[in-house]
Amino acid sequence: MAMTCDRVREFASGFVLGALDIDEMIAVSDHLDTCSEEHPEIGDLGGVVPYLAETLEPLEPPAWLRESVMAAAQADLAARRHISVEPVAIPTAARSSQAALTWQGPSPVSQGEVIPFAARASRRRRAMTWATRVAAAVAVVVLAGYAVVLQGDLSKSKHDQDTYASLIYAAAQPDTRLAALASRDGSKASGLVALLPTGHIIVNVTNLVPTQGDEAYVVWLTGDNGVQSKVGSFTVSDSGDGYLEVDNVPTSASLYLWVCKEPNSAVSASSGPTIVGGTISL
Amino acid sequence: MRQVAAGEIGGLETLYDRYHAMAYALALRITTETGLAEDVVQDSFLGLWRNAGRYAEAKGSVRGWLLAIVRHRAIDAMRRQRAGVALGDESEEILPAALTLPDIWPEVVGRLDAEQVRRALTVLPPAQREVIELAYFDGLTQREISDRTRAPLGTVKSRMRLGLVAMREQLVGQNDGSFGIALPSSNGKKGLA
Repeated sequence: MAMTCDRVREFASGFVLGALDIDEMIAVSDHLDTCSEEHPEIGDLGGVVPYLAETLEPLEPPAWLRESVMAAAQADLAARRHISVEPVAIPTAARSSQAALTWQGPSPVSQGEVIPFAARASRRRRAMTWATRVAAAVAVVVLAGYAVVLQGDLSKSKHDQDTYASLIYAAAQPDTRLAALASRDGSKASGLVALLPTGHIIVNVTNLVPTQGDEAYVVWLTGDNGVQSKVGSFTVSDSGDGYLEVDNVPTSASLYLWVCKEPNSAVSASSGPTIVGGTISL
Repeated sequence: MRQVAAGEIGGLETLYDRYHAMAYALALRITTETGLAEDVVQDSFLGLWRNAGRYAEAKGSVRGWLLAIVRHRAIDAMRRQRAGVALGDESEEILPAALTLPDIWPEVVGRLDAEQVRRALTVLPPAQREVIELAYFDGLTQREISDRTRAPLGTVKSRMRLGLVAMREQLVGQNDGSFGIALPSSNGKKGLA
């Protein structure tokens, strides 16, 4: 679309409100990037926009939201530090978990396969290089702090460290998308999801009510096209922790992931109460 | 904001405590669903946390930046929920540009209280107010507003422009004959860099 200074002035109000068609938005933006003339109308009208929100009465969100935001930021910070940290001496607490030190990252799995925890642990005991040991050790140091933030309980250290090592490893991969899962039913359940660019996804949820009988927690995804996909399911023991690791999930620019408690794992559409949910953005 | 950019959680806590109620009000107004609004607020503060290094103070206030993120993500979430409405990658590229629009008169508007700001919108003629609200809170394009209100597209554009100009005049209280404001010059081109 050919854009002139006069047309930019004509489109200015729609542009600052993001109310133009996409080709018009692009054309105006491109023109502003290259035009030698000033376009004060953009700033003049655009300055109004932030104040439109002021017409609303402030509303208090649930108190747990603050804790959830800070926990997610802590997890993000831990992942970032893991990426940049130099190898360091391993504290005693971290050395104690040899199983976690043998971890090598996500292994190839078949499409839609849900990997039981025991199988994951088995795969992680394969032969490894010294470099991988050091990297994994650093991850353990990081996840120890992460575990404190999320659970405040290191008594389940072996299981937790293995779980968090998976998440931290995934978070350290280029272009991995992380999202926090917040409670949707008023419970204390919360979690973290890591989606690798390969379509490998890791979901970890804590403070869940244990499943009984055929009950299962089912993980669902909705993409940009609004289509729901079943990611997989997991059961929960008295620990209250749930974990799922699956390959080849459908991805898009933005995804909404939620976990429902269902009567059984064979359900084809979500029917039970939503326990946690979160948006995975680029 | 510098604390947040440096990875200090305390900085994020300060920003959250200062702006969470406004962010939640905006998210809930757009999504009309508490669960989704909570999601949007969390996602927005995390977005601010992760991208704080890209924030340029000269281009606007933290509040304006955060609310722009909240609005963008809330509208994004609503569009995603509507079956059959796909979000193109283009929107990811274009909307962030609007996030950096300069908040050019914080000192001028800073002396106003929230009630005065609210009044600036409420005194607009209903037709002008409607198109601005449909664009800002519902994320509709001018063409979509035209379809919904059954008003010609040119009329929608005109109402939107007149409404923004009038609101600006209400906020600043003077008219210099152009866009109604005698304020420090703001260069849209540079502001969008």
